[in-house]
Amino acid sequence: MAILELRHVSKFFGGLAANSDVSFEVPVGTIMGLIGPNGAGKTTLFNCITGYYPPSKGEIVFDGRAMNGLLPDKVCKLGMARTWQKVRPLTNLPVLDNVIVGALCRTRSVRDARRIAQEQLHIVKLEGKAHLLAGALPIGERKKLEVARVLATKPKLLLLDEVMGGLNPAESEEIIQLILDIRKEGITQMVIEHDMKAIMRLSDRIVVLNSGEKLAEGSPDEIVNNPQVIEAYLGAES
Amino acid sequence: MMEAQTIPKPIIPRFPSLKFILRAVAVLIVAALFFVPNYVEDTYILHMMILIFINVVMGSSWNILGGYTGQYSVGHAAYFGAGAYTTMLLLQYKQVAPWYGVWVGAAAALVVAVIIGSICFRLRGPYFVLASIAVAEIFRVATLNLKDITNGAEGVLITEIPPLVIGGRLITDWASKVPFYYIGLVFALLIIGVTWLVRNSKLGYYFQAIREDQDAAHSLGIGLTFYKNVALAISAIFTSLAGSLYAVYVGFIDPSTVLGLDVSVQIVIICIIGGIGTITGPVVGAVLLVPLSEALRSNMITDLLIKVGIVGEETRMGLFLKEHLSQAHVLIYGILVVVTILYMPAGIVGFVRRMTARKARA
Ligand SMILES: Nc1ncnc2c1ncn2[C@@H]1O[C@H](COP(=O)(O)OP(=O)(O)O)[C@@H](O)[C@H]1O
Ligand SMILES: [Mg+2]
Repeated sequence: MAILELRHVSKFFGGLAANSDVSFEVPVGTIMGLIGPNGAGKTTLFNCITGYYPPSKGEIVFDGRAMNGLLPDKVCKLGMARTWQKVRPLTNLPVLDNVIVGALCRTRSVRDARRIAQEQLHIVKLEGKAHLLAGALPIGERKKLEVARVLATKPKLLLLDEVMGGLNPAESEEIIQLILDIRKEGITQMVIEHDMKAIMRLSDRIVVLNSGEKLAEGSPDEIVNNPQVIEAYLGAES
Repeated sequence: MMEAQTIPKPIIPRFPSLKFILRAVAVLIVAALFFVPNYVEDTYILHMMILIFINVVMGSSWNILGGYTGQYSVGHAAYFGAGAYTTMLLLQYKQVAPWYGVWVGAAAALVVAVIIGSICFRLRGPYFVLASIAVAEIFRVATLNLKDITNGAEGVLITEIPPLVIGGRLITDWASKVPFYYIGLVFALLIIGVTWLVRNSKLGYYFQAIREDQDAAHSLGIGLTFYKNVALAISAIFTSLAGSLYAVYVGFIDPSTVLGLDVSVQIVIICIIGGIGTITGPVVGAVLLVPLSEALRSNMITDLLIKVGIVGEETRMGLFLKEHLSQAHVLIYGILVVVTILYMPAGIVGFVRRMTARKARA
């Protein structure tokens, strides 16, 4: 069963088609990799899916429900949460409060939210930094905070936009383990990542975007052996 | 290292923390404030205290929207005026006692808030600020021109406040400043209490998240329009209480004194000087600014300079100051704000906090 379904989704910025006619399904409980060269329209697709802006054309169905025109707060309440490629910590609030804000999505009680937040910080190993201001964290920890904060909203579907960008190998490995743990919890994930090794290891299926269009879709094996992909993407990289 | 975990931490005798001492002092001051009218006969001091309370209410109310939610309204005169005008018009022309009128005034401010919110919250940042100024100005001009209802530029003067009688007992005939003192004190404590409650509840977290990053807040399930309007509603209601109290206390209002841009600016400056987004900031701001602006207005500073002998009374400087300093309070305010923003961007409270934190680390 698909938790997320995109049907002919397009997004235009003036004359530029950042996404054009993208369709695919994300099965429940899987990790879907989303790759493509810079400017391929990956972040734009996340923005459309999460209601940051409505798609220009097409339909997005989440959990059996048409999402068109739903604002991000409603989308989050329905169980879809995203991280930002350019991290957005609430800089003047403590790390713990950042996560409490996420947890309050599911409860009115600040005390419950604090407990959930502490658990999440423990999971991403930031509990020791709970009382620092979020703005004081280095990039690696900001990325982890970003993940802890969205996890606290108790999502069914998690969209991770380059959470490993700018991290060192050790930090990346931590994030990879985290993503695998999240899958064990039964949370479906869509992962945008540039690190090919990581994405091959993590993904059950992969969608390749190029110039806004879906170039290919398949298992990691199928993708690495797809001549079009090699030509357009992997080839261009090396 | 198992051992390391099992060794109990040494018990360090704990002295009361700075925070605890400050809280205890605050409680004592508040308690003492309730007895001030028993010992202080000087009406000028009571007058200043009442003005300080009113300014605390103004600043703290703004702080909910501006300080915690990050929506820098420079149009709060609209709510101040809505309270003041509603209460005064009801009292003077409909014989509605002000202790009922203030609540009608609060309702009026709420209506104004809904109108302003629906217009201004579509905008962000500087556009929001400009819109808030513009909409408040519309209310001022409307009040000026709707002469049949508001008496226009002539304003509203109250001739009599009915005595407050509860259960056959005369509580006050409003002849002295004391009842206003207590009402001001209670309003001030009320808004401080509300701020504390807000800050420690879901609302406070959501308000601050919106202040820090609207898009991030939105994506974490926070309905921006709803929560901004909640912040504005709380802010507007308490600002209107300040306006009503001011109006009945002074006994006269006109469009420029309660709806003018300088009222909106005064409200913001209290918070900037004291410290935006902190509970104590607006209190500190009001305690400093009210006496300062009174001193400037009443030429007290010039008199003092002459008395102490810094400037001679008949010198050019003395004459100049006597002539102009009382009109320069806006200028001096401006300088103060610039200096604060440059050297203490988090206001006095933020500055003191940073200093004490630095000491604690050293
Ligand atoms: N808000 C916007 N307005 C105009 N153009 C945009 C906007 N957001 C993205 N784009 C353009 O859309 C294209 C896709 O961008 P993006 O989705 O960020 O790519 P990716 O995440 O795959 O690197 C780029 O050409 C980018 O310049
Ligand atoms: Mg991107």
